[in-house]
Amino acid sequence: MATETPTLESLQASLDAQQAIFNMHQAMNVEVFYWWCTAIMVMIHAGFLAYEMGASRSKNALAAGVKNILALAVIIPTFYLFGWWIYNAFPGGIIPAEAASALPWSQSMGPDVQDMGTGIFWAAFALFGATTGSIMSGAVIERIRVSAFLILTVILGSGVWILAGAWGWHPDGWMLTELGYHDVGASGVVHAIAGFFTLGVLINLGPRVGKFINGVPQQIRAHNLPMTLIGLMMIIFGFFGFLGGCIIFNGGETGWTTIYNNPTNLSAFAFNTLMGFAGGVIGCYIATRDPFWTMSGGLVGIISVAAGLDLYDPGLAFIIATCVSFIAVGAAKLLEKKGIDDAVGAVAVHGVTGVVAVILVGVFAGGTPNVGGNPAISLYGQTVCAIVMAVLGFVPGYFVSYLLKKFNMLRVPENVEVLGLDEVEILTHPYPETVPAKSSAPTNVGDLEAKGA
Amino acid sequence: MGTSITTWDNVSAYFTFADNPLALMLFSLGVAGIVVGLIRFIMKHEKEAFENHK
Repeated sequence: MATETPTLESLQASLDAQQAIFNMHQAMNVEVFYWWCTAIMVMIHAGFLAYEMGASRSKNALAAGVKNILALAVIIPTFYLFGWWIYNAFPGGIIPAEAASALPWSQSMGPDVQDMGTGIFWAAFALFGATTGSIMSGAVIERIRVSAFLILTVILGSGVWILAGAWGWHPDGWMLTELGYHDVGASGVVHAIAGFFTLGVLINLGPRVGKFINGVPQQIRAHNLPMTLIGLMMIIFGFFGFLGGCIIFNGGETGWTTIYNNPTNLSAFAFNTLMGFAGGVIGCYIATRDPFWTMSGGLVGIISVAAGLDLYDPGLAFIIATCVSFIAVGAAKLLEKKGIDDAVGAVAVHGVTGVVAVILVGVFAGGTPNVGGNPAISLYGQTVCAIVMAVLGFVPGYFVSYLLKKFNMLRVPENVEVLGLDEVEILTHPYPETVPAKSSAPTNVGDLEAKGA
Repeated sequence: MGTSITTWDNVSAYFTFADNPLALMLFSLGVAGIVVGLIRFIMKHEKEAFENHK
């Protein structure tokens, strides 16, 4: 049987076909990677849900949960409407650039079978936005109106953070091109923004009834601390999706890069994520010996090293996380002394830690070159950018909540707060059988006999 | 009604009314309307609930 001798043209055609298949598989790998990052990030919201429901008193447990669920549900469509456009239109500052393909009526913002990138990147960013909005959620529990919270969380989760993202987390962002900003794990663009936005809201919202008596802070106990601890652990799980989504999976010869285009990989992220987590837990335990803070220390630790996740020696990350824990705990105490009632320490855990994390990249990684002719990382650049993040977060949080307060739309009435939001607004109870079961439960043999047992 | 293709050959962006920017803009307005409507609905519910517990 005669075989056909391959020609140069037929070999080239075969090679091109193989290359096309390879390219398609690379694009699919990118999709698969971000698909699972997005799925894992949903666990952050399950964690926030459990965390805040447990941290509330039982009379507000369901209200805290409903608030969380709705936050996720409103940030996703609003991020679709304008968040993605903000990211693409504002890397240069406050003058929008052309970004018509990111508008919601663009054909690329739909199930385009030729585009294996836009939808999956949008999804990951939408979940980053939802996380940012949810950071505020725990701080304001038990006294904010759900409607006011949703307005604020849309502004934060689909507006403010992504503007910060365009400035400091975009390959053309002005913070990178002019100041060499480095924040791979979003310590600044997510956590500092959310923390300082929350501070602005808390100033106008005021403390819970009974939190301060004659100016002395009182401890309002979580009704289910074990649920809160589990919730925090779920957030840590979700962080692996979050940080995975912060890396760029290019495929092909380029492989992994950061959002700033410098080379990195998941291996580098793995070392410092875990070392940061461990250092944060240990630091917060030593600083407080409080279970709530010990677990929150995991968040503090990861956030404290997230900005330089690709650059730190793991030992250094561990030490940074341990030390920053003391700063976060100190900041929480200071805020409480100043009359700020932050129910879960969000301002300290996310805001203060985020700002410190950004500055520390300038301290420990200053001089590291950026690619594409952008300035090197510097302490000056990181400090300026950290201040920008804090201000950019605080100003809209303060002014929008101030306006809501002026129109009496921010806070629930005092009698409602005393009764509990579940009783008044949710119209159901998290543990409806607890009280009657307890009051009718026989306590001794006489009771049992009387009940015919 | 609604589909803009008759064959899957060489299809790229295929979704309902993908060839009609006006329709897509109206859908976007619909999305915004549902979000705003939700918040207004919650405001109304809060007002009534708070008044019932005065």
